Amino acid sequence: MPRVGRKLRKWTAAILDLPQDVALDLPRVTMIGGLQVTVENHRGVLHFSPKTLRLAMDRGVMEVTGDNLVIRNIGAEEVFVEGQIFGVTLHPKGSPSG
Amino acid sequence: MKGTWFAAVRGYVWIKLIGGNPEVFLNAATAHKILLWNIAYSSDGSLTFGVLVPDFFRLRPLIRKSGGKIRILAKRGVPFQLARLSRRKTFAAGMLVFASLLFLLSTFVWQVRIEGETSIAEDQIYRAARAEGLHRFQWSFRIPDSTTLARKLAARLPDASWVGVEKKGTTVVITVVDSTKPELKTAQGPNDLLSVADAVITRVVAESGRPLVERHDRVRKGQVLITGWLGDEERKKAVVSKGKVMGLVWHEMKIVSPLVQHLKTYTGESKQRTYWMIGNRALQISGYGGEPYTESRTGSVIHPWRIGKWPLPFGILEERELEVRTVTEKLSASQAKEAGLRQAKAELLSRCGKDARITSEKILHEQTESGKVVLTVLYEVEQSIGVERPIVLTPAE
Repeated sequence: MPRVGRKLRKWTAAILDLPQDVALDLPRVTMIGGLQVTVENHRGVLHFSPKTLRLAMDRGVMEVTGDNLVIRNIGAEEVFVEGQIFGVTLHPKGSPSG
Repeated sequence: MKGTWFAAVRGYVWIKLIGGNPEVFLNAATAHKILLWNIAYSSDGSLTFGVLVPDFFRLRPLIRKSGGKIRILAKRGVPFQLARLSRRKTFAAGMLVFASLLFLLSTFVWQVRIEGETSIAEDQIYRAARAEGLHRFQWSFRIPDSTTLARKLAARLPDASWVGVEKKGTTVVITVVDSTKPELKTAQGPNDLLSVADAVITRVVAESGRPLVERHDRVRKGQVLITGWLGDEERKKAVVSKGKVMGLVWHEMKIVSPLVQHLKTYTGESKQRTYWMIGNRALQISGYGGEPYTESRTGSVIHPWRIGKWPLPFGILEERELEVRTVTEKLSASQAKEAGLRQAKAELLSRCGKDARITSEKILHEQTESGKVVLTVLYEVEQSIGVERPIVLTPAE
């Protein structure tokens, strides 16, 4: 997305008081305790193991850490993960860990 | 996953992915909109997941691209169950046999029933039906359609004015309506017509037979009026003699008519009592207070409760007690005489048959004694005097 376009969108969202995820195509993470995580607007699976799940975002990587992770359901936009979840970490563009 | 039942109907498989690059595979699957669920690593490091059968075939090229191997762990759902069923030949055959047997048995006629009030013997109807091919355990399609069958049955049952045939599932109901026929007359043997009393003939109407008397003839009791014998001494034949002979007959009647008459009349006073009825027991619920009248007449009406047209053994009994008063009426001698004669006439006419007619009345004797009027009256009545007597034919005649 071009820089100017993004800035314009951000400004519009701020002016119109829109939720940022709608305006800026950011991932939306819903977490239920330490049991379930639903990530909307992801851009693919980078890595999956019982301990970690790394998802690509528009700019950067999201990492879900935990134990016995199971992808209950996966679609083009949405991932639904179950297991013992310890944390969700965001790595902005260009600095993926691990 | 649109609910497990949806997956169960379409059929799904549990798959194990060995080796290769699982991330590449997952991204490819999501890109192709292939639904995967319960993606997890098993203890040996391979990826397991569930996928619908139609999607499974689309999955194969992706797996080849990601460089792994797959193994099917389990097959679930209706298509696989059906496939398993097809292997159990006997079981499948049993189901088929059951269904076809059910169908086959439902094509039989299991019962033939007769409805309608009819004097025709059921056996006769059954026999007629059997002759037309309608009987128990007959194939339904071997009996003709209801209209034709009804027509044929009606032809076989001449006493029925209408025959209906209705097929209700495996039961065939035959409805028979009788035709009304004139009353049967019993065959009559040859007979004579005799006189029942001493009389003077006033009219002779002979329908058959030979009249032996004429108008104004004086006949005795037991005399032959119309004979059944025809022909002369050598050639004769006995027939049924029929006819009407009217004659004047005398009846002497003794009438006793009291001068004092007791009449019971209602006073108009009444008392009502109500009871609850249970079976044949009654529980009084209103109208207490004993019997207030010295003389009374009681009438009761039962109103049973009903369900539709069926009366229940419960209900309400209404009892009405009407006061009665006895009125003593004193009659003069002439009034008593008139009342006595009126009664005597009615009695006489009922005794002499319906076409009797009183032609004259003569008071022979009249006496008033101990509160009564005693009369002796001679009545002349014109009445039918013929009575039949069979002719017994002996072989010699």
